[in-house]
Amino acid sequence: MIVLDKVSKIYPISKENQVAAVQDINLEIPMGEFLVITGRSGSGKTTLLNLAAGLTRPTSGRVLFEGVDWWSLPDREQSLTRNQKIGFVFQFPSLLPALTVLENIALPTIINHSQDFQEIYPRAVKLVETLGLSDKRSSYPRQLSAGQQQRVVIARALLNQPAVLLADEPTSNLDEQTELEIMELFAEIHQRTGITIVLVTHSAQLVRFGTQSVQMAVGQVVTKQT
Amino acid sequence: MAALYRLALCNIRGYSFRSWVVGLCALLISGLVLATSLILLGAESSLRLAIDRLGADIIVVPEGAATRVETALLMGRPTKVWMPASALDTVAAIPGVEAVSPQVYLASLTNASCCTVSDMFLIVFDPKTDFVVKPWLEKTIGGNLQLGDVIGGSSVYVPEEGIKLYGYYLNLRKNLAPTGTGLDQSLFMTMDTAQEMRRVSLTEAVQPLEIPTNSISAVLVKLKPGANVYAVALEISDRDRTITPIVSPDMFQSYQGQLKGLLGGVLVMIVIILAFSMLLIGLVFSMAANERRRELGVLRAMGASRGFVFRSLVMEAALLAINGGIAGVLLTFLILTLFRNLIISILGMPFLLPSLPVLILLVVGVICLSLVIVVLAASLPAYRISHLDPSIAMRE
Repeated sequence: MIVLDKVSKIYPISKENQVAAVQDINLEIPMGEFLVITGRSGSGKTTLLNLAAGLTRPTSGRVLFEGVDWWSLPDREQSLTRNQKIGFVFQFPSLLPALTVLENIALPTIINHSQDFQEIYPRAVKLVETLGLSDKRSSYPRQLSAGQQQRVVIARALLNQPAVLLADEPTSNLDEQTELEIMELFAEIHQRTGITIVLVTHSAQLVRFGTQSVQMAVGQVVTKQT
Repeated sequence: MAALYRLALCNIRGYSFRSWVVGLCALLISGLVLATSLILLGAESSLRLAIDRLGADIIVVPEGAATRVETALLMGRPTKVWMPASALDTVAAIPGVEAVSPQVYLASLTNASCCTVSDMFLIVFDPKTDFVVKPWLEKTIGGNLQLGDVIGGSSVYVPEEGIKLYGYYLNLRKNLAPTGTGLDQSLFMTMDTAQEMRRVSLTEAVQPLEIPTNSISAVLVKLKPGANVYAVALEISDRDRTITPIVSPDMFQSYQGQLKGLLGGVLVMIVIILAFSMLLIGLVFSMAANERRRELGVLRAMGASRGFVFRSLVMEAALLAINGGIAGVLLTFLILTLFRNLIISILGMPFLLPSLPVLILLVVGVICLSLVIVVLAASLPAYRISHLDPSIAMRE
């Protein structure tokens, strides 16, 4: 379970001024749920996701991941937890341009060298096949369409069989048809594996793919729905 | 480590502009430092070997001819200087002098049909009194040179039609070890051979060889143990104002001065270039790291620790430094091999490549220097970017 306990995140914008991206949020995300967080631009959705993953330190409050406060852990353990238990899908193109599709998918194992590339190779190939990218495994990101790139990112996020998949506006750069395909893919992965998914989007229409939803506005949770 | 290496290699391939700039800086650092070290150390070693090869405590030459004789011995530019042979007795009579031996300096003709080698410096010695060449001859060929025999510097070779000077054929018995100086392109022969060559030249050469009667070019002086070289030199000057003694420690002094001046200038230049390279590498790495902020933020989100991000950037820098360093070393050797004579004529100073162990040490040293400089320059931007909040790093 991910717990946000009275969490605020304030960014200084100048010496005198600051902006509260997230304010006094209390949120519990149970394991196995597909939570869709909606809200307009600047409502604090991405900050909330970053806080949940321990990518940014809250100005106040606590963020617990599986009962442990992210910020009680040293950087090394935080990183290891993220590597093994969290998969990320970003809004922007996040594939490393210098690596091939297969190398990008294997990146989490390169980072955490507890597993050999040869060991992980069959799993990476299987993921590529599952996501319909068999003929693209040796291609570079620039040779793929936006939808294909996002599929590779999802494959990469799933490689370590994480407990949680965090997706930040994963369809915002895609056309309607591809958006639908990607969302169906998320729903299918959730159904098949039971993985916890937290997906942030500005599109309220995508709420139907989740099992729970939260709406945010000006750094606060406005409504929760199951 | 293997994974880090693979990632670094991929990034080097992927960020070609940054890689080229850093690699070229490393090439410049290693190449420049190696070339400078080789030339300066080589010049210093050449001077030392040339002094050793001459083997005399003092060389007495005609007044005003010191620089010409030094240039001839060092650069192999032939010279002809003469003084009365009586100088030999004058010097021999000075207290502290153990042995004296005359030398005559000659030159082969330039592009003449009677000479198969052009512009060669010829050093003629007297086997009866010589104390420099004779011991070496006894060790290597087990005796004296016969009429027509010569020994050559390390670069002397026998052309297809043999060594013919002034229409007289010479027999090359042996080559001396290299010194990197003009002595390597010189021939050593006895007085008898030189006189025979002079005799033959009267009928066979386009221009006869001239050896003035009762004249010599230099007197090589060996001192008794404990004798003061400067006191003896002063005495020589006092006794005969038409001759000049050059004492062994001060030999090639103008070249040694030139070498020191060159060393100072080059050191300043190297420091400036190293500082400039470091600044440039730091700047390029900083720009590249900023450009890759989002990518590095993504790595952090995927579970890369700060240490991993730092190490992967430093590993890229290290690989570029080693490859650039090796390229610099290879390029330096290529340039020094292809343009050695041009460099010597520009510098006006010979140089000898050091022995293999010293060479290996120098090569390893300059590659390490490139590595240290590039890694140091890349460390600050790598540290800064690795400690950035990943959520900020990922923002546009």
